Amino acid sequence: MDGIHDLGGKQGFGPIPIGDNEGFHHDWEERMWAMARCGILPPGTAIDQFRHGLERMVPTDYLSFAYFNKWCANYFMFYLNAGTFTNDEVLNGHCDTPSDPAKTLSLDQVVAAQRALVTDFSEPTDAQPRFAIGDTVTTKRRITANHTRLPGYARNAAGTVITHHGAHLLADFGAEGIHQAQHLYTVSFMATELWGEDANPIDTVTLELWESYLV
Amino acid sequence: MAKFDSETAAKIHRHLHSHLPSDPALRVKALESLVVERGLVSSETIDAWVEAYSEQIGPMRGAQVVARSWLDAEFKARLLENAGDAIKDFGFEGNATGHLIAVENTDSTHNIVVCTLCSCYPFSILGMSPSWYKSAQYRARAVREPRAVLAEFGVELDDNIAVNVWDSTAEVRYIVISQRPTGTDDLDEPALAALVTRNSMIGTDRILSAGET
Repeated sequence: MDGIHDLGGKQGFGPIPIGDNEGFHHDWEERMWAMARCGILPPGTAIDQFRHGLERMVPTDYLSFAYFNKWCANYFMFYLNAGTFTNDEVLNGHCDTPSDPAKTLSLDQVVAAQRALVTDFSEPTDAQPRFAIGDTVTTKRRITANHTRLPGYARNAAGTVITHHGAHLLADFGAEGIHQAQHLYTVSFMATELWGEDANPIDTVTLELWESYLV
Repeated sequence: MAKFDSETAAKIHRHLHSHLPSDPALRVKALESLVVERGLVSSETIDAWVEAYSEQIGPMRGAQVVARSWLDAEFKARLLENAGDAIKDFGFEGNATGHLIAVENTDSTHNIVVCTLCSCYPFSILGMSPSWYKSAQYRARAVREPRAVLAEFGVELDDNIAVNVWDSTAEVRYIVISQRPTGTDDLDEPALAALVTRNSMIGTDRILSAGET
Protein backbone atom coordinates (compact mmCIF):
# COMPACT_ATOMS: atom_id res chain seq x y z
CA MET A 1 0.00 0.00 0.00
CA ASP A 2 1.07 3.56 -0.60
CA GLY A 3 1.10 4.67 3.01
CA ILE A 4 2.42 7.67 4.88
CA HIS A 5 5.52 5.66 5.87
CA ASP A 6 6.88 5.82 2.31
CA LEU A 7 8.84 9.00 2.95
CA GLY A 8 11.72 8.72 0.44
CA GLY A 9 11.86 11.82 -1.75
CA LYS A 10 8.92 13.61 -0.10
CA GLN A 11 9.55 17.34 0.00
CA GLY A 12 8.87 20.07 2.52
CA PHE A 13 10.32 18.52 5.71
CA GLY A 14 13.01 21.11 6.39
CA PRO A 15 16.41 20.73 8.05
CA ILE A 16 17.64 17.45 9.51
CA PRO A 17 17.64 17.65 13.33
CA ILE A 18 21.39 16.98 13.30
CA GLY A 19 21.85 17.98 16.94
CA ASP A 20 19.46 15.23 17.97
CA ASN A 21 22.28 12.76 18.27
CA GLU A 22 21.13 10.50 21.06
CA GLY A 23 19.33 7.24 20.47
CA PHE A 24 17.10 7.82 23.50
CA HIS A 25 15.86 10.99 25.21
CA HIS A 26 13.68 9.47 27.89
CA ASP A 27 13.64 6.38 30.08
CA TRP A 28 10.39 5.22 28.47
CA GLU A 29 12.13 5.09 25.08
CA GLU A 30 14.89 2.86 26.45
CA ARG A 31 12.34 0.64 28.14
CA MET A 32 10.25 0.33 24.98
CA TRP A 33 13.32 -0.67 23.01
CA ALA A 34 14.38 -3.09 25.76
CA MET A 35 10.93 -4.70 25.87
CA ALA A 36 11.08 -5.13 22.11
CA ARG A 37 14.33 -7.11 22.52
CA CYS A 38 12.58 -9.67 24.70
CA GLY A 39 10.65 -11.52 22.01
CA ILE A 40 7.29 -10.95 23.69
CA LEU A 41 5.07 -10.20 20.69
CA PRO A 42 2.42 -12.88 20.07
CA PRO A 43 4.25 -16.06 18.98
CA GLY A 44 5.01 -16.17 15.27
CA THR A 45 4.79 -12.43 14.64
CA ALA A 46 7.07 -11.82 11.66
CA ILE A 47 9.24 -8.72 11.33
CA ASP A 48 7.32 -7.68 8.22
CA GLN A 49 4.07 -7.95 10.13
CA PHE A 50 5.51 -5.62 12.74
CA ARG A 51 6.54 -3.16 10.01
CA HIS A 52 3.19 -3.42 8.29
CA GLY A 53 1.45 -2.85 11.62
CA LEU A 54 3.31 0.45 11.95
CA GLU A 55 2.29 1.37 8.41
CA ARG A 56 -1.37 0.92 9.37
CA MET A 57 -1.21 3.49 12.17
CA VAL A 58 -3.41 6.56 11.88
CA PRO A 59 -1.35 8.62 9.39
CA THR A 60 -1.24 11.76 11.52
CA ASP A 61 0.03 9.66 14.45
CA TYR A 62 2.67 8.09 12.22
CA LEU A 63 4.10 11.51 11.40
CA SER A 64 3.75 13.10 14.82
CA PHE A 65 4.52 10.32 17.32
CA ALA A 66 8.03 9.86 18.68
CA TYR A 67 9.63 6.74 17.19
CA PHE A 68 9.22 4.49 20.22
CA ASN A 69 5.73 5.78 20.88
CA LYS A 70 4.82 4.27 17.51
CA TRP A 71 6.31 0.99 18.64
CA CYS A 72 4.24 1.13 21.82
CA ALA A 73 1.05 1.67 19.80
CA ASN A 74 2.02 -1.25 17.58
CA TYR A 75 2.57 -3.55 20.57
CA PHE A 76 -0.88 -2.70 21.90
CA MET A 77 -2.31 -3.36 18.44
CA PHE A 78 -0.72 -6.82 18.22
CA TYR A 79 -1.77 -7.73 21.76
CA LEU A 80 -5.38 -6.67 21.18
CA ASN A 81 -5.44 -8.50 17.86
CA ALA A 82 -4.15 -11.70 19.47
CA GLY A 83 -6.32 -11.37 22.57
CA THR A 84 -3.25 -11.32 24.85
CA PHE A 85 -4.93 -8.46 26.72
CA THR A 86 -8.50 -7.25 26.71
CA ASN A 87 -9.51 -3.75 25.77
CA ASP A 88 -10.18 -2.91 29.41
CA GLU A 89 -6.78 -4.24 30.49
CA VAL A 90 -5.05 -2.03 27.90
CA LEU A 91 -7.02 1.04 28.97
CA ASN A 92 -6.42 0.34 32.70
CA GLY A 93 -2.76 -0.62 32.28
CA HIS A 94 -3.19 -3.69 34.50
CA CYS A 95 -4.13 -7.32 34.04
CA ASP A 96 -7.38 -8.51 35.55
CA THR A 97 -5.78 -11.84 36.49
CA PRO A 98 -2.00 -11.64 36.92
CA SER A 99 0.12 -14.68 35.95
CA ASP A 100 3.24 -16.16 37.50
CA PRO A 101 6.19 -13.79 37.11
CA ALA A 102 8.67 -14.43 34.31
CA LYS A 103 12.20 -15.63 35.00
CA THR A 104 14.79 -12.83 35.16
CA LEU A 105 17.78 -12.78 32.83
CA SER A 106 21.12 -11.31 33.90
CA LEU A 107 23.13 -8.76 31.91
CA ASP A 108 25.43 -11.52 30.63
CA GLN A 109 22.42 -13.56 29.55
CA VAL A 110 20.84 -10.72 27.60
CA VAL A 111 24.15 -9.86 25.91
CA ALA A 112 24.37 -13.50 24.84
CA ALA A 113 20.72 -13.42 23.74
CA GLN A 114 21.40 -10.32 21.64
CA ARG A 115 24.22 -12.15 19.90
CA ALA A 116 21.88 -15.04 19.18
CA LEU A 117 19.38 -12.69 17.52
CA VAL A 118 21.46 -12.74 14.33
CA THR A 119 19.02 -13.99 11.72
CA ASP A 120 19.54 -15.44 8.27
CA PHE A 121 16.68 -14.37 6.01
CA SER A 122 17.96 -16.32 3.02
CA GLU A 123 16.31 -19.57 1.98
CA PRO A 124 17.20 -22.17 -0.60
CA THR A 125 15.10 -22.06 -3.75
CA ASP A 126 14.76 -24.14 -6.89
CA ALA A 127 13.73 -21.11 -8.92
CA GLN A 128 16.31 -19.86 -11.38
CA PRO A 129 17.14 -16.16 -10.98
CA ARG A 130 15.76 -14.07 -13.84
CA PHE A 131 18.56 -11.54 -13.59
CA ALA A 132 22.32 -11.49 -13.23
CA ILE A 133 24.85 -8.93 -12.06
CA GLY A 134 25.22 -6.23 -14.69
CA ASP A 135 21.71 -6.61 -16.09
CA THR A 136 19.59 -3.53 -16.65
CA VAL A 137 16.25 -3.93 -14.90
CA THR A 138 13.10 -1.82 -14.65
CA THR A 139 10.94 -1.60 -11.54
CA LYS A 140 7.20 -2.01 -11.65
CA ARG A 141 5.02 1.05 -11.95
CA ARG A 142 2.25 -0.24 -9.74
CA ILE A 143 2.26 -2.28 -6.55
CA THR A 144 -0.89 -3.94 -5.25
CA ALA A 145 0.44 -5.82 -2.20
CA ASN A 146 -0.67 -4.63 1.25
CA HIS A 147 3.00 -4.46 2.17
CA THR A 148 5.86 -3.74 -0.21
CA ARG A 149 9.48 -2.71 0.08
CA LEU A 150 9.54 -0.99 -3.30
CA PRO A 151 9.32 2.70 -2.37
CA GLY A 152 7.21 5.01 -4.50
CA TYR A 153 10.21 7.04 -5.61
CA ALA A 154 11.87 4.01 -7.23
CA ARG A 155 8.93 2.78 -9.33
CA ASN A 156 9.02 2.57 -13.10
CA ALA A 157 12.74 3.29 -13.04
CA ALA A 158 15.68 1.60 -14.77
CA GLY A 159 18.70 0.47 -12.79
CA THR A 160 21.56 -2.00 -12.81
CA VAL A 161 21.84 -5.18 -10.76
CA ILE A 162 25.04 -4.96 -8.70
CA THR A 163 24.49 -7.87 -6.28
CA HIS A 164 22.42 -11.04 -6.27
CA HIS A 165 21.76 -12.19 -2.69
CA GLY A 166 20.13 -15.50 -3.56
CA ALA A 167 16.57 -15.89 -2.33
CA HIS A 168 15.38 -14.04 0.79
CA LEU A 169 12.01 -14.22 2.52
CA LEU A 170 9.70 -11.91 0.56
CA ALA A 171 8.51 -9.05 2.77
CA ASP A 172 5.17 -8.78 0.96
CA PHE A 173 4.35 -12.37 1.90
CA GLY A 174 5.89 -12.08 5.38
CA ALA A 175 3.36 -9.36 6.22
CA GLU A 176 0.63 -11.88 5.31
CA GLY A 177 2.18 -14.57 7.46
CA ILE A 178 3.46 -16.50 4.45
CA HIS A 179 7.01 -17.84 4.65
CA GLN A 180 8.29 -17.82 1.07
CA ALA A 181 11.58 -16.72 -0.44
CA GLN A 182 12.30 -15.01 -3.73
CA HIS A 183 15.49 -13.85 -5.44
CA LEU A 184 16.75 -10.58 -3.98
CA TYR A 185 19.00 -8.14 -5.81
CA THR A 186 20.78 -4.92 -4.99
CA VAL A 187 19.90 -2.52 -7.79
CA SER A 188 21.75 0.74 -8.37
CA PHE A 189 19.92 3.67 -9.99
CA MET A 190 21.51 6.79 -11.34
CA ALA A 191 20.24 9.72 -9.27
CA THR A 192 19.24 11.47 -12.49
CA GLU A 193 16.95 8.53 -13.36
CA LEU A 194 15.05 9.05 -10.11
CA TRP A 195 15.22 12.80 -9.63
CA GLY A 196 15.89 14.31 -13.03
CA GLU A 197 18.49 16.76 -14.18
CA ASP A 198 18.85 18.49 -10.80
CA ALA A 199 20.73 15.48 -9.46
CA ASN A 200 24.48 15.15 -9.79
CA PRO A 201 25.07 12.89 -12.84
CA ILE A 202 27.60 10.69 -11.04
CA ASP A 203 25.48 10.01 -7.93
CA THR A 204 23.56 6.78 -7.36
CA VAL A 205 20.77 5.47 -5.12
CA THR A 206 20.83 1.77 -4.37
CA LEU A 207 18.04 -0.46 -3.06
CA GLU A 208 17.43 -4.13 -2.28
CA LEU A 209 14.63 -5.33 -4.56
CA TRP A 210 12.92 -8.69 -4.83
CA GLU A 211 12.43 -10.22 -8.25
CA SER A 212 8.67 -9.61 -8.31
CA TYR A 213 9.34 -5.86 -8.02
CA LEU A 214 11.05 -5.95 -11.41
CA VAL A 215 9.31 -5.96 -14.78
CA MET B 1 0.06 -16.88 15.75
CA ALA B 2 -3.27 -15.13 15.86
CA LYS B 3 -4.56 -14.19 12.46
CA PHE B 4 -3.07 -10.87 11.43
CA ASP B 5 -5.05 -8.89 8.94
CA SER B 6 -4.10 -5.51 7.50
CA GLU B 7 -7.54 -3.94 7.80
CA THR B 8 -8.04 -5.23 11.34
CA ALA B 9 -4.66 -3.76 12.29
CA ALA B 10 -5.76 -0.37 10.95
CA LYS B 11 -9.06 -0.61 12.80
CA ILE B 12 -7.33 -1.40 16.12
CA HIS B 13 -4.90 1.48 15.58
CA ARG B 14 -7.84 3.85 15.06
CA HIS B 15 -9.36 2.57 18.29
CA LEU B 16 -6.07 3.11 20.16
CA HIS B 17 -5.78 6.59 18.65
CA SER B 18 -9.08 7.56 20.26
CA HIS B 19 -8.71 5.84 23.63
CA LEU B 20 -5.13 5.70 24.87
CA PRO B 21 -3.60 8.50 26.97
CA SER B 22 -1.51 10.86 24.86
CA ASP B 23 1.54 10.90 27.14
CA PRO B 24 3.95 8.27 25.74
CA ALA B 25 5.58 7.76 29.16
CA LEU B 26 2.20 6.66 30.54
CA ARG B 27 1.51 4.45 27.54
CA VAL B 28 4.83 2.62 27.81
CA LYS B 29 4.43 2.29 31.57
CA ALA B 30 1.02 0.69 30.98
CA LEU B 31 2.52 -1.67 28.42
CA GLU B 32 5.33 -2.68 30.77
CA SER B 33 2.87 -3.28 33.63
CA LEU B 34 0.77 -5.49 31.38
CA VAL B 35 3.58 -7.64 30.02
CA VAL B 36 5.14 -8.04 33.47
CA GLU B 37 1.84 -8.94 35.13
CA ARG B 38 1.10 -11.41 32.35
CA GLY B 39 4.43 -13.08 33.05
CA LEU B 40 5.83 -12.43 29.57
CA VAL B 41 8.99 -10.75 30.89
CA SER B 42 10.30 -9.42 34.20
CA SER B 43 11.11 -5.76 34.87
CA GLU B 44 14.63 -6.82 35.87
CA THR B 45 15.16 -8.43 32.46
CA ILE B 46 14.04 -5.17 30.83
CA ASP B 47 16.57 -3.38 33.09
CA ALA B 48 19.28 -5.75 31.86
CA TRP B 49 18.50 -4.99 28.20
CA VAL B 50 18.60 -1.26 28.92
CA GLU B 51 22.01 -1.74 30.52
CA ALA B 52 23.27 -3.91 27.65
CA TYR B 53 22.45 -1.21 25.10
CA SER B 54 23.85 1.61 27.22
CA GLU B 55 27.10 -0.14 28.21
CA GLN B 56 28.06 -2.87 25.77
CA ILE B 57 26.22 -2.69 22.46
CA GLY B 58 27.01 0.58 20.71
CA PRO B 59 29.05 2.35 18.05
CA MET B 60 32.31 1.50 19.81
CA ARG B 61 31.84 -1.95 18.27
CA GLY B 62 31.63 -0.65 14.71
CA ALA B 63 34.55 1.68 15.39
CA GLN B 64 36.71 -1.27 16.39
CA VAL B 65 35.74 -3.08 13.18
CA VAL B 66 36.68 -0.04 11.08
CA ALA B 67 39.98 0.39 12.93
CA ARG B 68 40.93 -3.23 12.32
CA SER B 69 40.13 -2.86 8.62
CA TRP B 70 42.69 -0.05 8.49
CA LEU B 71 45.37 -2.15 10.16
CA ASP B 72 44.78 -5.61 8.74
CA ALA B 73 44.44 -5.99 4.96
CA GLU B 74 43.35 -9.63 5.23
CA PHE B 75 40.56 -8.67 7.65
CA LYS B 76 39.53 -5.77 5.43
CA ALA B 77 39.23 -8.08 2.43
CA ARG B 78 36.97 -10.41 4.42
CA LEU B 79 34.95 -7.46 5.74
CA LEU B 80 34.29 -6.18 2.23
CA GLU B 81 33.49 -9.70 1.04
CA ASN B 82 31.04 -10.58 3.85
CA ALA B 83 30.82 -8.14 6.76
CA GLY B 84 28.25 -10.25 8.59
CA ASP B 85 30.81 -13.07 8.86
CA ALA B 86 33.81 -10.84 9.50
CA ILE B 87 32.33 -9.19 12.61
CA LYS B 88 32.05 -12.64 14.20
CA ASP B 89 35.80 -12.29 14.85
CA PHE B 90 34.73 -9.89 17.62
CA GLY B 91 31.52 -11.65 18.64
CA PHE B 92 29.64 -8.56 17.42
CA GLU B 93 27.01 -10.40 15.38
CA GLY B 94 23.43 -10.10 16.56
CA ASN B 95 20.36 -8.00 15.95
CA ALA B 96 20.16 -6.91 12.29
CA THR B 97 23.61 -8.01 11.17
CA GLY B 98 22.66 -11.28 9.48
CA HIS B 99 23.19 -9.69 6.06
CA LEU B 100 25.70 -6.92 6.69
CA ILE B 101 27.56 -5.15 3.89
CA ALA B 102 30.56 -2.86 4.41
CA VAL B 103 30.90 -0.09 1.82
CA GLU B 104 34.16 1.79 1.55
CA ASN B 105 34.69 5.49 0.95
CA THR B 106 37.47 6.43 -1.47
CA ASP B 107 38.93 9.67 -2.82
CA SER B 108 36.23 9.61 -5.52
CA THR B 109 33.20 8.09 -3.72
CA HIS B 110 31.19 8.77 -0.60
CA ASN B 111 28.61 6.38 0.87
CA ILE B 112 25.59 7.30 2.98
CA VAL B 113 22.96 4.96 4.46
CA VAL B 114 19.25 5.54 5.03
CA CYS B 115 16.08 3.51 5.48
CA THR B 116 13.29 5.49 3.83
CA LEU B 117 10.50 3.00 4.63
CA CYS B 118 11.17 2.51 8.35
CA SER B 119 14.45 3.01 10.19
CA CYS B 120 16.47 -0.17 9.64
CA TYR B 121 19.89 -0.03 11.29
CA PRO B 122 22.66 -2.54 12.18
CA PHE B 123 21.95 -2.37 15.91
CA SER B 124 24.38 -5.05 17.03
CA ILE B 125 27.42 -3.10 15.82
CA LEU B 126 26.18 0.52 16.06
CA GLY B 127 23.76 0.38 18.99
CA MET B 128 20.62 2.49 18.94
CA SER B 129 20.38 4.81 15.96
CA PRO B 130 20.51 8.57 16.56
CA SER B 131 17.16 10.36 16.57
CA TRP B 132 17.96 12.27 13.37
CA TYR B 133 18.41 8.95 11.52
CA LYS B 134 14.83 8.02 12.43
CA SER B 135 13.47 11.50 11.60
CA ALA B 136 11.07 12.08 8.71
CA GLN B 137 13.43 14.80 7.46
CA TYR B 138 16.36 12.42 7.04
CA ARG B 139 14.27 9.57 5.62
CA ALA B 140 12.64 11.89 3.08
CA ARG B 141 15.67 13.87 1.98
CA ALA B 142 18.70 11.55 2.08
CA VAL B 143 17.75 9.79 -1.16
CA ARG B 144 16.69 12.90 -3.04
CA GLU B 145 19.22 15.53 -2.04
CA PRO B 146 22.07 13.74 -0.27
CA ARG B 147 24.54 16.55 -0.94
CA ALA B 148 22.30 19.10 0.77
CA VAL B 149 21.83 16.68 3.68
CA LEU B 150 25.57 16.11 3.94
CA ALA B 151 26.21 19.85 3.89
CA GLU B 152 23.93 20.21 6.92
CA PHE B 153 26.20 17.73 8.69
CA GLY B 154 29.21 19.83 7.65
CA VAL B 155 30.31 17.49 4.86
CA GLU B 156 31.00 19.57 1.74
CA LEU B 157 31.69 17.38 -1.28
CA ASP B 158 33.20 18.35 -4.62
CA ASP B 159 30.93 17.62 -7.58
CA ASN B 160 33.42 15.02 -8.83
CA ILE B 161 33.09 12.86 -5.71
CA ALA B 162 30.21 10.43 -6.38
CA VAL B 163 27.62 9.99 -3.65
CA ASN B 164 26.18 6.50 -3.32
CA VAL B 165 23.02 6.41 -1.19
CA TRP B 166 22.11 2.98 0.21
CA ASP B 167 18.39 2.71 1.04
CA SER B 168 18.08 -0.49 3.09
CA THR B 169 14.77 -1.82 1.86
CA ALA B 170 15.23 -5.52 2.76
CA GLU B 171 17.13 -7.29 5.58
CA VAL B 172 20.51 -6.16 4.25
CA ARG B 173 22.24 -3.59 6.48
CA TYR B 174 25.20 -1.33 5.79
CA ILE B 175 28.23 0.08 7.56
CA VAL B 176 30.37 2.75 5.91
CA ILE B 177 34.15 2.36 6.15
CA SER B 178 35.76 5.79 6.14
CA GLN B 179 39.26 6.50 4.89
CA ARG B 180 41.96 6.28 7.52
CA PRO B 181 42.99 9.76 8.61
CA THR B 182 46.49 10.84 7.66
CA GLY B 183 49.06 11.15 10.41
CA THR B 184 47.87 8.04 12.25
CA ASP B 185 50.62 5.62 11.25
CA ASP B 186 51.74 5.14 14.83
CA LEU B 187 48.33 4.45 16.32
CA ASP B 188 47.17 1.03 17.48
CA GLU B 189 43.66 -0.41 17.10
CA PRO B 190 42.09 1.14 20.24
CA ALA B 191 43.57 4.55 19.42
CA LEU B 192 42.32 4.35 15.83
CA ALA B 193 38.88 3.17 16.96
CA ALA B 194 38.61 6.29 19.13
CA LEU B 195 38.82 8.39 15.94
CA VAL B 196 35.90 6.64 14.21
CA THR B 197 32.67 8.58 14.70
CA ARG B 198 29.24 6.97 14.76
CA ASN B 199 28.09 9.32 12.00
CA SER B 200 31.00 8.27 9.78
CA MET B 201 29.71 4.69 9.89
CA ILE B 202 26.30 5.92 8.68
CA GLY B 203 27.92 8.22 6.14
CA THR B 204 27.04 11.65 7.51
CA ASP B 205 30.67 12.31 8.44
CA ARG B 206 33.60 11.90 6.03
CA ILE B 207 36.95 13.34 7.04
CA LEU B 208 37.95 11.87 10.38
CA SER B 209 40.28 13.79 12.63
CA ALA B 210 43.68 12.33 13.52
CA GLY B 211 43.03 13.34 17.08
CA GLU B 212 45.17 15.28 19.53
CA THR B 213 48.55 13.98 18.35
